[in-house]
Amino acid sequence: MTPFDRLQSNRRHFLATHAFGICSTALAWLLQQDAASAAPPKPNLAPEHFDLKPKPPQHRPAAQAMISLWMQGGPSHIDLFDPKPELTKRDGQPFPGDIKYDNAAQASATMLGSPWKFQQHGECGTELSELLPHLAEIVDDICLIRSTRTGVNNHGQSIRALNTGQIVGGQPGLGSWLTYGLGSESQDLPAYLALTDPGQLPVLGVENWNNGYLPSVYQGTVIRPQEPRILNLTPPARLAGTAQQRYLGYLENLNRRHLAQRPGEHDLEARIASYELAARMQTAAKEALDLSQESAATQRMYGMEDKATRDYGSRCLIARRLVERGVRFVQVFTENQRWDHHNSIRSGLPSACKKVDQPSAALVKDLKQRGLLDSTLVHWGGEMGRLPVIQNDAGPKKVGRDHNTYGFSMWLAGGGVRGGMTFGSTDEFGHQAVENVVHHYDYHATLLHLFGLDPELLNYEQNNRVRTLLEGRGRVVKEILA
Amino acid sequence: MRNQPNPTCRPPLQHPTSALVRVGSRLSSCRGWLATATAALLVVGTWALTLPLAVRAETAPARPSRAEPLTYERHIRPLLKTHCFHCHGEGGELGGGLDLRLRRLITAGGESGAAVVPGDGSASLLLERMAAGEMPPEDVEIRPTAADIELVRDWIAAGAAGRTEPDDLDPANYITEEERGYWAFQAVQRPPLPTVTETVRARTPIDHFLLARLSRESLTFGPDADPIRLLRRVSIDLTGLPPTVAEIEAFVADQAPGAYERLVDRLLNSPRYGERWGRHWLDVAGYADSEGYVDADPVRPYAYQYRDYVIAAFNQGKPFDQFITEQLAGDELVGQPFSNLSPEDAEKLIATGFLRMCPDGTAAGDVDQGVARNAVVSKTIEIVSTSLLGLTVGCAECHNHRYDPISQSDYYAWRAIFEPALDWKNWQVPTKRRVSLYTDADRAAAAQIEAEAKAILAERTAKQEQLIQETFARQLNKLAEELREPVREAYQTPAKQRTAEQQKLLKQHPSVNVTASSLYLYDKKAAAELKALADKANALRQTKPEERFVRALWEPAAKTPPKTFLFIRGDHEQPGEELAPNGLPILATADQAPLPVNDGDLPSSGRRLAYARQLTSPSHPLVARVIANRIWLHHFGKGLVETPGDFGQLGVPPTHPGLLDWLAAELQAGWDVKHLQRLIVTSTAYRQASRNRDRALQVDAQNQLYWRMPIRRLEAEVLRDSLLAVCGRLDLEMGGPAVPVMADRAGRFVIGKENLNAGRPGAVIDMHGAQFRRSVFIQVRRSRPLGVMDPFDLPIPSPNCTQRASSTVAPQSLMLMNSDFVTEVARRFADRIQSEAGKEMTEQIRLAWLAAFARQPTARELADATKYVAEQQEVFAASPPAKTAKQTSAGSRHEALSSLCHALLSSNEFLYVD
Repeated sequence: MTPFDRLQSNRRHFLATHAFGICSTALAWLLQQDAASAAPPKPNLAPEHFDLKPKPPQHRPAAQAMISLWMQGGPSHIDLFDPKPELTKRDGQPFPGDIKYDNAAQASATMLGSPWKFQQHGECGTELSELLPHLAEIVDDICLIRSTRTGVNNHGQSIRALNTGQIVGGQPGLGSWLTYGLGSESQDLPAYLALTDPGQLPVLGVENWNNGYLPSVYQGTVIRPQEPRILNLTPPARLAGTAQQRYLGYLENLNRRHLAQRPGEHDLEARIASYELAARMQTAAKEALDLSQESAATQRMYGMEDKATRDYGSRCLIARRLVERGVRFVQVFTENQRWDHHNSIRSGLPSACKKVDQPSAALVKDLKQRGLLDSTLVHWGGEMGRLPVIQNDAGPKKVGRDHNTYGFSMWLAGGGVRGGMTFGSTDEFGHQAVENVVHHYDYHATLLHLFGLDPELLNYEQNNRVRTLLEGRGRVVKEILA
Repeated sequence: MRNQPNPTCRPPLQHPTSALVRVGSRLSSCRGWLATATAALLVVGTWALTLPLAVRAETAPARPSRAEPLTYERHIRPLLKTHCFHCHGEGGELGGGLDLRLRRLITAGGESGAAVVPGDGSASLLLERMAAGEMPPEDVEIRPTAADIELVRDWIAAGAAGRTEPDDLDPANYITEEERGYWAFQAVQRPPLPTVTETVRARTPIDHFLLARLSRESLTFGPDADPIRLLRRVSIDLTGLPPTVAEIEAFVADQAPGAYERLVDRLLNSPRYGERWGRHWLDVAGYADSEGYVDADPVRPYAYQYRDYVIAAFNQGKPFDQFITEQLAGDELVGQPFSNLSPEDAEKLIATGFLRMCPDGTAAGDVDQGVARNAVVSKTIEIVSTSLLGLTVGCAECHNHRYDPISQSDYYAWRAIFEPALDWKNWQVPTKRRVSLYTDADRAAAAQIEAEAKAILAERTAKQEQLIQETFARQLNKLAEELREPVREAYQTPAKQRTAEQQKLLKQHPSVNVTASSLYLYDKKAAAELKALADKANALRQTKPEERFVRALWEPAAKTPPKTFLFIRGDHEQPGEELAPNGLPILATADQAPLPVNDGDLPSSGRRLAYARQLTSPSHPLVARVIANRIWLHHFGKGLVETPGDFGQLGVPPTHPGLLDWLAAELQAGWDVKHLQRLIVTSTAYRQASRNRDRALQVDAQNQLYWRMPIRRLEAEVLRDSLLAVCGRLDLEMGGPAVPVMADRAGRFVIGKENLNAGRPGAVIDMHGAQFRRSVFIQVRRSRPLGVMDPFDLPIPSPNCTQRASSTVAPQSLMLMNSDFVTEVARRFADRIQSEAGKEMTEQIRLAWLAAFARQPTARELADATKYVAEQQEVFAASPPAKTAKQTSAGSRHEALSSLCHALLSSNEFLYVD
């Protein structure tokens, strides 16, 4: 069933796919009942059934899957994506307008021009910072949005705005909405996966992949950086492999013998079948996570040979493998506040870029060469950019930049988005988005459009209130559609 | 999605939950028997509603037969009530001027003339419009069947007969004799015991009823179950735990007559009994430790007292009529004001927590108060109706009930019983609906401490001001000298009075803007100093006598009760007629006094107390039946009425009406639940084996007639508790505040104290064994179902659960195969076996079998298990764990034994009771 013809409820839900048909006597009874006179129609007393079976969108979709590369902390747009010659020119001078700071004690009004050089790349000629040499190679495939705005100046709220549409907690994220609306192409893998960094979880922790008020079948499943990679779906390391095969074999013997003494107990048979299904899911997960199946060239492309890029690169590669296998939504998180350069931006930013630049670009290249980019939307971005002024004015090595959610950059590739373009702009210093502003809800409206989903019909009723991702806001940014 | 106006009840809002799983997208809100029955069949297990007609219920269900002469009241009115009355009679304005509620009104007709011409179908507009599919209108989803239309055709052709209708008959309050005659509305009468031929097998009166019915199909009970199987069955049923090894040994050793009866008494007297059976009642009461309704799902810190009250009531064998009365009107049994309460009075107030269990979002900031408050009222009374009345009264909130004789006025008159305490116009948010257990002495001591704490905080405020000034001075000194004076002046000028120049100056030097909230950014030491003072004040406050509260419902003393109005279409913004409190007329009995509007002898209105007396009177047709049916349900996996929350027309008629009434009468005789259970579990029906038999299967595949004991899966709590018990870790501490549930670093809901740091789980706080307590004491936070129980159909109360599902899905298997919880339990189980059974493998395996399955392994099982452990040991030995893995340091032998334990604990024999 689709959410669009569903009477809503916030009741109990079941991931169940039931194994039984109708037995013959019962069928006869049913037919008799149907013919019987004046049998009152029976209202459905049942809870809703929510599942992950594929569901059709409302209109022809461009995108079928999404990979969101989440740069938690807020990469400095004015040092990476959004060149500001005027800022460079007036480096060291006082900022001429109003600025909202996050950290007053270290605040200053002194402008800081980008220490890095920008250069045009590709046929489109988009200017990018020297910190992103690999992105430069795929610049003709990306749409760089330079006018993103959430307007809420701290991490948690801005993450929520971009990931769930609302700044308060308890809301479903994009992955939950997409899997709720569209299900998944794979029934042997979770529909929505979050790949976490070996470092700390991002700000908001597990809330990042929470299902909010949607049924928990739409919750993101975490792929951990170490075994067991998916809790409950993969066994603890000591119990994996031969040990588990034997365990499952022995368990089946126990269950078969138990059943043999209780002939005709369908529920017992169904449970034996459910162990088989569980084992299949486990195999599918293991296979999807097995990067040794990838060629050396592919592994190299993702930077898996280099210590700096190995971890993030392997997660980008896993993301591709998941999408290839029908997973609807994958989010790759960088570690807690990796991009939150309140200080020492001169060393911190290059090091953060080094970890993600090559693998991110490799993902787009790889999807493209496999013919998957057209149907896979790739998103790269964080919850904020940085201010054009200095934070922590304690010498060139120590300076950093404070939060800026009023104008910052992110990029999209594939999935029906036009490549080789930039969209929108910030003011001459990069503080405020001024032209073609893309609010978080505009971004979401555009995503739903790309997936063929009607923003009003993709809804859920909770406590007599119809909830949607957009809550009535947002415009489809048609200018960036392919 | 947003739905078209739907003429039928919207199930999620109006109807009680059932165990059925909705299937397929084409099935929407209301549908025929076929669809529902199909859904039922698709549900794994024993819940199917169906059986061949041959073994349907003993007495005819309410469905009319076509064999008898067709009459309006018996054959036609029910279908017109379902499909037509809404617009043609009950909706205020008559569609087309036509009222279909009385025969004479039908023949009188509406604007288009007579709706029915007796004897002439072709001239009868009613038939014409229905047959053409024009009525009900196209957009109405629920439609009469072809058979319904045939019935109308035949009725008209035969002369459109019916009962004589007196001229003064008011169609609005008309309940037909047929409706009154419905089985569930008749007073309970203890039937005589049917005679049976197999007297040996008729251990209890229950067996008489079942055997008599079975013998009509030439069936009988199965053989008695093996005593040890029975021990496991009755232990899990009555206490929610498998028998311990010592209990098994004691039972085996007791060879004297009456051993089983002694066992039953021991179990009924165990404190574990109240934990198990209290949990069943908490399901229907919709017990939760959180308010729900809004995303934040705030915690209810004092709800646990109601949970403990329920458990104690079952353990003490509190008479069920008293249990009901205290829950509905405990406050009216206690004198106001509620101060210096005795434990007995506190208990009565705690009992009213029953009426404070449904989701309550009225304390949240961003909700529509009118909607949220009325949701509390309607959900609270929905809990009352589904738990005690077994009727879907809520259907009548917006319009007359389509199937049962409950009008919308009946609904609001019934609601008026509760409105003096749940007065939506003079609302109290949850934090106001609690009664302090403080005594006057406690209060005085607390005030003294508070005064001291305030003095410390005043000191802190002064200190803070001083620190701000010092910090400012330091920041100022970092500026060029000539700037200092103007900046100081700007800073010290109140914000609104600053000149443009001053504002600009401060903007240019943001770091001088030192405030109380940013002080910590400048001076960590100063911040620590301030914090120390605040901590000191807080520590002092902690020494106040602990103030506990009772979450209760009561009415303001000596106040005129609010007026209750019918809400047109259920909309609280459209009040209609005013209504006086009244129980449902269809359930009224002749001897019943009307409910008081405002009882002069009580500080409260007395409405709930009087209503509770009505419900527990022996003449009430439903309460005893509903409760007896629930008790039966929890022993046999299904009720005698398979829809425990709906005894109305849409429910399933009882398979054994005589037995149901006998049980109800027996319950009413002393309201002794344990007595009824003792009768049930000592019956042959309960003691029989669970094996299928071919002939019986052919006749009654669904076991409606109880020719065997059904096999049932453990409920979520029983599974968790049993795992902990078997591995030797179960903590049996009873009662007290709920053991909290939090999200761990991977997002799983686990037992633990939340310790967030920037939104992420921080350091894990030691639970000191509380993580091993029985599941009934674990917090029921609606938004955080415990991860290890959630897959096993743990209900999320919204507002309550009248019957649990029993699904079989892959996430359950994955949990059992791979979860930390289960694999840890398996390791501990192996620890226990190694320490208790000695070094001998055979003995270890025997103990494992006994603890997990309550039986000895067969020779073959023993041989297989021995081989399995040996082979697994080789596998583990071949890949020794890395040195850092401490959990596996016990060696490959232990790992292999753990693997065996793991297999036993995830096997069907452990997961099911037979």
